[in-house]
Amino acid sequence: MLRYLLKRLWHTVYVLIGISVISFIFIHLSGDPVMLMLPGDASIQEIEELRQQLGFNDPLYKQYIRFAAHAIQGDFGNSLYYKIPVMKLIVERLPASLELALTSMIIALVFAIPIGVISAVKRGSLLDMGSMFAALFGLSMPHFWLGIMLILLFSVKLGWLPTSGRGTFAHLIMPSLALGLSLMAMFARLTRSVLLEILSLDYIRTARAKGLKEQIVISKHALKNALIPIVTVAGMQFGFLLGGTVIIETVFAWPGVGRLVVQAIFNRDYPLVQAIVLVLAVIFVAVNFFVDLLYLYLDPQIRYFEEQ
Amino acid sequence: MTIIIDEIAPRLRLLNETLREVARRPSALVGGAMLIIIVLTSLSFPAVYNVNPLSQDLMARFTPPAWQEGGTVAHLLGTDNLGRDILARLLHGSRISLLVGFAAVALAALAGIILGLISGYYGGRIDNIIMRIADIFMAYPFMLLTISIIAVLGTSLFNLILVLGLSDWVTYARTIRGSVLSLKEKEFVEASRAIGTPHRTIITRHILPNVISPLLILGTLRVANIIIWESGLSFLGMGVPPPMATWGRMLADGRIYITDAWWLVTFPGIAIMITILSINLLGDGLRDALDPRLRNI
Amino acid sequence: MKKLSFVCIFAAVALAIAIPGPVAARDAGTLVVVQEAEPVGLDLMRSSIQTTMNVAYNIHDTLFHPQEDASVTPAIAESWEQVDDLTWKIKIRKGATFHNGEPINADAVKYSFDRVFNPDIQCPHKGKLSGFKEVKVIDPYTVTISTDAPFAPGLYMLAYYLPIVPPGYIKKVGDAEYNATPIGSGPYRLIKWVRGEEVIMERYDKYYGPKPAYKRLVFKAIPEESSRIAALLTGESDVISGIPVHQRKKIEDSRKAYLTPQMGVMPYLGINTYEAPFDDVRVRQAVNYSINRELINKALFGGKAIICNGPTSPRTFGANPALKPYPFDPKKSRELLKAAGHPNGIKVRLAYGTYMSQIQEQSEAIASDLAKGGIEVTLEPFERAVMWERYKGKKHQLFIYWWDDAPEPHRYIYSLFHSKSRDYYYKNTKIDELLDKGAATMDRGKRALVYNEIDKILYDDCPWAYLYVIPEVFGVANGVSYQGKRDGFLDMRYASPKK
Repeated sequence: MLRYLLKRLWHTVYVLIGISVISFIFIHLSGDPVMLMLPGDASIQEIEELRQQLGFNDPLYKQYIRFAAHAIQGDFGNSLYYKIPVMKLIVERLPASLELALTSMIIALVFAIPIGVISAVKRGSLLDMGSMFAALFGLSMPHFWLGIMLILLFSVKLGWLPTSGRGTFAHLIMPSLALGLSLMAMFARLTRSVLLEILSLDYIRTARAKGLKEQIVISKHALKNALIPIVTVAGMQFGFLLGGTVIIETVFAWPGVGRLVVQAIFNRDYPLVQAIVLVLAVIFVAVNFFVDLLYLYLDPQIRYFEEQ
Repeated sequence: MTIIIDEIAPRLRLLNETLREVARRPSALVGGAMLIIIVLTSLSFPAVYNVNPLSQDLMARFTPPAWQEGGTVAHLLGTDNLGRDILARLLHGSRISLLVGFAAVALAALAGIILGLISGYYGGRIDNIIMRIADIFMAYPFMLLTISIIAVLGTSLFNLILVLGLSDWVTYARTIRGSVLSLKEKEFVEASRAIGTPHRTIITRHILPNVISPLLILGTLRVANIIIWESGLSFLGMGVPPPMATWGRMLADGRIYITDAWWLVTFPGIAIMITILSINLLGDGLRDALDPRLRNI
Repeated sequence: MKKLSFVCIFAAVALAIAIPGPVAARDAGTLVVVQEAEPVGLDLMRSSIQTTMNVAYNIHDTLFHPQEDASVTPAIAESWEQVDDLTWKIKIRKGATFHNGEPINADAVKYSFDRVFNPDIQCPHKGKLSGFKEVKVIDPYTVTISTDAPFAPGLYMLAYYLPIVPPGYIKKVGDAEYNATPIGSGPYRLIKWVRGEEVIMERYDKYYGPKPAYKRLVFKAIPEESSRIAALLTGESDVISGIPVHQRKKIEDSRKAYLTPQMGVMPYLGINTYEAPFDDVRVRQAVNYSINRELINKALFGGKAIICNGPTSPRTFGANPALKPYPFDPKKSRELLKAAGHPNGIKVRLAYGTYMSQIQEQSEAIASDLAKGGIEVTLEPFERAVMWERYKGKKHQLFIYWWDDAPEPHRYIYSLFHSKSRDYYYKNTKIDELLDKGAATMDRGKRALVYNEIDKILYDDCPWAYLYVIPEVFGVANGVSYQGKRDGFLDMRYASPKK
């Protein structure tokens, strides 16, 4: 077990270093923010002074070393745009992102798993075809289009839900629905196909042959194993949800990190981009570690420390 | 001569069986047929509907579709915010959107195949390096990666394909590597190696043909994702530059007129949905027919 | 069943996170303003972004209040006199205080002025105030402000760009903290800033001027256009900014809100006059002859835009009334191109930023017009940073940019055309001289003539293709009375409930 943990730790370290280098290179290659920090009538001299003051005239590797030296001590610097510590900005936005990602994920799973199970059990029925077709439909809509449609329907036409912003549970409904729908579709399809495969396996046949009730066969034997791939994909998707929701966050004015980081890229806010990318990567790695632990729980046959 | 026939005949038989297997699934048939129609339409429409998608008529902006009050037959699906014919833009856009989808997937698949094959077949140090890089790309949020690269390269059709393709190679490489690892242990590969067949021959003769089906399935399903993602990038102002029409751009540009002129977004929206639906149906059918074990993709 | 209980706990935790306390109910004393973006900071001295300054102006106050005709009225300054061409003597209102009770006096004014030029602050307004030399404290409530040369728009510049800030408080908390929790001298004091969500302010009861009608003021941000307009129509917000022309009729038709004019956005087609083919004035004129401004105005702006004849907006002080806009004449354009040695027309690039609403459709329309006049254009959409990066590298050929049409010409004509300012691809020593003269001419009538001349020279020399001014509007809920101002700032002290 210890060996496994050490391996995970090493994995985390090189992933973080790799990511910080890649994002550092890209964001710096895409130009510096000095022109954006000054108004349109600043003179060339003012621009040069600020560039010198911020150290953008140094070679790239020197700038990276400077960044890394501070980052190791937990100092990610101040945002060039907001002019406050970047970690403060991220910590303020992260709860909103987690809230949205978690809710979408829960909505998706709560609906998708039953739909998938029913479709698998009643394979080939009208119900199966109908729900799988609906799922495909859910996968075929661009997020922002769905989001705007929801606002027009539920806020402007019906007046049931607030258009945007964060605060009450009502604010959370539309954005998490807009995000959750495609996830739901994906998980429903996944559940169905995984379960179909498991139901054709020998041990299920044995269980059935023993005369166990079909319900028990499915819930106790089949679904338990089906959860492993579902959990894997959920783990991957959760990381994606945290950073990949900029479109939904824009449409619904949701104060999450997705919008923060994309704006930071547009503003060439180097320290902020670096820090967010790293935080997201840490969360991604952590969630996947958690998923690995879940495997152990779901399938005691997996023993990581016996690997190799 | 006989050698060639010996080589080809079983493959032909396999192909035949596969096709028959696919044809037995109605969803795959429907999806495939729809996709063929879409592709044929996008290739052949100028013969039937040769309207310039770029010609503007500012005074005729927001003409509704022909069946609505104020619509004209000259613009069957109406005009957009600059008075351009929506049907013409939709048809021309289909070429770009499909091109982006398929070309990006082809690029990603190519990179994925090469790296996955090397990684899986040779193993050892090189495998380790490739997989570590894959881990890094995996943990790098896909969207941020594409946006950052486009910020450096600038927007153009070519760059968009390049970026979407290169950002997406990991999934392919991992899938291929997995297949190769299991194939490597198979008897026919070991036998071949034992009689001294060169690596390259083993890879191209024995391994590659056997990883084609997971690749095909994965690729089909990814095309749909890429097309959706292209519209997302257009939303952020980083899609294919105008005046070129793509479905994603039409959708993203039209969204600010959503309450005044529904046809600006509805038709490209439907086009995207139908295309993706058909691709997914086909992909599902292929998966069921070829390899029911591949469910995670 | 263990798994199920696990899932339940998971769900419960998530819901607990998801449901915060009840929202504060909207009451009649609260005004909610929604903009396109949230402020980047609240220190008025540290940002030049409109959406940020809009929020900060409610917290801060300046020496004077700017008026629509580019004159000023008393604010923190109670009265003033011009001692000579280079010096103003200013009396400060007695008894006015900052929100923490700190007195507003001559020391505070001097401290504020010096802070603008403190390099650590990186004050973006520094350039606009660079005509000033120093502030001297005469007595606790009197200062003199002096300039190096006569500076006609001086008081007007101070009215916008010199917020008076509390020396004691800033020295205590530091500049970074001040940007997050400022103590100003304005009509509203900051209660709370929930980043990403809202800025909450409350009326400052000891404000020296007229009390604002609303007790509570909340600024929010909704970036997506259609969502923002939806918020106005559903009554979630009282005032919104950023309404594209085509959405305006819908707001008026809704009968739930009305529109009030504010500043105008003046887009222009910048031309790189340093390099061929645009180093030839005939080619630049050809560009001006190939844009159908009337049609664009009619089609895209419903005829509401104001066509520009020269670089000075017709609404700005000093615009030359004798100039007529360039007509749309593609034939003339081709002739000019031919005369300049381009019988087959030219092929050029046109860059524009993707971050401004409706700029893309204007660019596409303009590109299609230019083609008719023999100028074939490749469109280059760039995000903000790239647009500037390429500008700096002198990589643009044609580019669309914009400026607001402020009442005071010095504010933008100087920035855009003086060779000492940022280099906008055009240099003309005659213009430099006239701009310096315009800033130094104290007599209003004579000053107007100087700017008339500038306008005429630039009209003929075509460093830009002149386009139009698009009047911007705010959307205001029917229950609120608010009149937008030409500077576009959202000074909510002027809003009141409609009787």
